[in-house]
Amino acid sequence: MAADGLHENETLASLKSEAESLKGKLEEERAKLHDVELHQVAERVEALGQFVMKTRRTLKGHGNKVLCMDWCKDKRRLVSSSQEHAVTMPCTWVMACAYAPSGCAIACGGLDNKCSVYPLTFDKNENMAAKKKSVAMHTNYLSACSFTNSDMQILTASGDGTCALWDVESGQLLQSFHGHGADVLCLDLAPSETGNTFVSGGCDKKAMVWDMRSGQCVQAFETHESDINSVRYYPSGDAFASGSDDATCRLYDLRADREVAIYSKESIIFGASSVDFSLSGRLLFAGYNDYTINVWDVLKGSRVSILFGHENRVSTLRVSPDGTAFCSGSWDHTLRVWA
Amino acid sequence: MSSKVTIGSDIGQARRAVEQLRMEAGIDRMKVSKAAADLLQFCTEQAKSDPFLVGIPAAINPFKEKKPCAIL
Repeated sequence: MAADGLHENETLASLKSEAESLKGKLEEERAKLHDVELHQVAERVEALGQFVMKTRRTLKGHGNKVLCMDWCKDKRRLVSSSQEHAVTMPCTWVMACAYAPSGCAIACGGLDNKCSVYPLTFDKNENMAAKKKSVAMHTNYLSACSFTNSDMQILTASGDGTCALWDVESGQLLQSFHGHGADVLCLDLAPSETGNTFVSGGCDKKAMVWDMRSGQCVQAFETHESDINSVRYYPSGDAFASGSDDATCRLYDLRADREVAIYSKESIIFGASSVDFSLSGRLLFAGYNDYTINVWDVLKGSRVSILFGHENRVSTLRVSPDGTAFCSGSWDHTLRVWA
Repeated sequence: MSSKVTIGSDIGQARRAVEQLRMEAGIDRMKVSKAAADLLQFCTEQAKSDPFLVGIPAAINPFKEKKPCAIL
């Protein structure tokens, strides 16, 4: 890139001070519309009853920490990944995994900086590793991946600070997303009805919403006090939740363009690693590094339940596609299905 | 790398940051009261189809059966 010519009166210092004043303006504009709190509006909603949620299945089989999991759309199968001492995988930490919408393939990656797609076969004679296709290449670890609405495209997030959209068949980079100032740890695609956007969270404490076609960041939120480990859209697509190392989960409304709720308690001091909503968006399930899962009333901001069972950090949590259960994965080598 | 080029790319980055902030400051926003009311409405409408809120009889909830799971 050739050196940019300096415009009259434009210096690095003047641009930086303009940026600062724009940040102030952004905060002012957001504050003008902050006329009420979500939990105040929610006072007119009925309180939730008592919840009885128990571990209905404990899945053992991983030889090490479970790092990630995803449900198949058939609601009966799930894929999970872990830190394995396996000979067939080229790296030991598989940090991200995702099920293809068709259920016929899975994508995963991690410390190998790649995202690879494996067509699924239940023929015991087939060597799955042989059919693997490398799709994405980053310059640092892969932290998250997700198929878009079809088996044809994959969205990835990386420790190299970027997200990227790839064509599965050709491995071609279709779009890249620059803007995070540090590792990107998580991403989530907007529900298909709401159009082509996704949200990402990173070690720069920012959550950013992106336009998939233009590659541009359309909204950014910086209220967390530490790394954002997990982001998940509210089922209507108008908001998203985040879980962070600052021990809080937060809700951001996209149309109000601000944080509208914080889910925290003085007694919760460990980071939240993974969050997901129940089907109606009324409940937020969050897995924490203190081995527990807290269930929050999204509207009222209060905790409705605390679930014990895992014997180490909860690293991943997803509600099943039909909303009847959720699955949590942990460093205790197990996955638990709760209902 | 000459210092001119370094300054050039710093200016480029600063310009992009200013443009990005200008764009973000200029988007349309809704009052929190309206946005919150919409979130509430969605929740209320969807509540009847949310198994965690409504509860499904143990008889048809596949996770409440006593069947084991298999690694495929």
